Amino acid sequence: MSFEKRLRRLEEIVRELESDEIELERALALFEEGISALRAATEDLGKVEARLQRLVERTDGSFEVTDFRE
Amino acid sequence: MTPGGQQFGFSLSAREDAAPGVDPTSAIAVSTLTSTARDILEGAFPPIWVRGEVTGFKAHRNGHWYFTLRDRMAQVRAVVWSKDTRGIPAQPDEGMQIAAFGNLSVYPAKGEMQFVVRRMEAEGDGLWRKAVERTRLKLEAEGLLDVARKRPLPRYPRRVAVVTSPDGAALRDIVAVIRRRAPMVEVVVVPAAVQGDAAILELCAALARVGRWREADVVIVARGGGSREDLWAFNDERLARAVIACPLPVVSGVGHEVDVTICDMVADVRAATPSAAAEAVVRDHAELATELTTAERRMARALTKRVDRAKSELQWIASALRNRVVRTTERRRARLSELGAQLNALSPLATLSRGYAVARGADGRALMSVESFKLDQPFDLVLRDGTIGARVTRTDRP
Repeated sequence: MSFEKRLRRLEEIVRELESDEIELERALALFEEGISALRAATEDLGKVEARLQRLVERTDGSFEVTDFRE
Repeated sequence: MTPGGQQFGFSLSAREDAAPGVDPTSAIAVSTLTSTARDILEGAFPPIWVRGEVTGFKAHRNGHWYFTLRDRMAQVRAVVWSKDTRGIPAQPDEGMQIAAFGNLSVYPAKGEMQFVVRRMEAEGDGLWRKAVERTRLKLEAEGLLDVARKRPLPRYPRRVAVVTSPDGAALRDIVAVIRRRAPMVEVVVVPAAVQGDAAILELCAALARVGRWREADVVIVARGGGSREDLWAFNDERLARAVIACPLPVVSGVGHEVDVTICDMVADVRAATPSAAAEAVVRDHAELATELTTAERRMARALTKRVDRAKSELQWIASALRNRVVRTTERRRARLSELGAQLNALSPLATLSRGYAVARGADGRALMSVESFKLDQPFDLVLRDGTIGARVTRTDRP
């Protein structure tokens, strides 16, 4: 799951958890899911630096990204 | 420069030995006079900047521009050949104060002195602003500047395409900002010249390439600060249309704070500088980490609240249950004592206490009729305070 999707899911979870009608069992399941999403998102944040790349279009119209030398 | 014919190589005089124009017989032609004057004038002045007010401007159908440049004391006819008009952003307005760069010459057909203009700048960048305004109005009339057209940027892009010069300061600034704020975000450079003749076409081609590629989440079009001329490609209508046609959201970061280009106007987000464009595109990870912590706290609080509610619900149910049990027991007890009283009223013991006795067979049943007895049969007699054994010695029936 992408970082963006994960954060969006996390927002949904928090919102649903904070609603008044939620069933206890659902609340517990959501909390568990929320914690694992949180952990994964935190891990994403700590990922190493992405490479700087250059977009190259081949003559056949296909694309390639190659390392860009700064 | 000395007056006199020889140095210009005249050969029209009737007499080879005399200087042309010295007497009626050696008179020179008008065209010789004007073309000579032209040669002298053109040789006398290097290309030069001249300032003055534009009056009587006329753009001819042949593409050339004609006008008069004047100040309070004097005036000169001016012309811009059509090939040179392309380098001038817009036609000057009547009365506009301009500086024109060109050569002084003579127009032989009219015998007029004329200033041949190759470049032109108006006071306060008037021509540039006029050209920008013209393009802006055109795009606006097509509804291309509507705020409703602006696309939202992705909140957490994975990959950012940067259309810019591969060795410009703009790229360095953008990469530095993204590295600092969101090191995991990929930056893909899509190289294009950002000034000079090739800039417009290269920028448009780069944008189209990103659009075909579609693997980026957002595009930054950027260029560091520069002169009006340097930034000119970003005011071109073709680039504006390429930005609009791009299927991805586009952030424009061109020049310095003060420069607002057409590219800025059509982009989904206008950033004042390349660095600001990068900041608009990626959110600071420190900020995100704080957001995650907040989410965690909110989840924990919500769950605690929900569990507490469940607990108090449970307590309520338990106490309701207890009340119910207590009430039921009390009701039963009352019923029991009521039944006891009724029973007591019906008890044969009450009769026995008054001196009566009950005969009971071996099976414990009351023997209530003479027919229930046989001679010599043993039976019990139940009295008020006990039982005695008895035997039938006689039966009588009245």
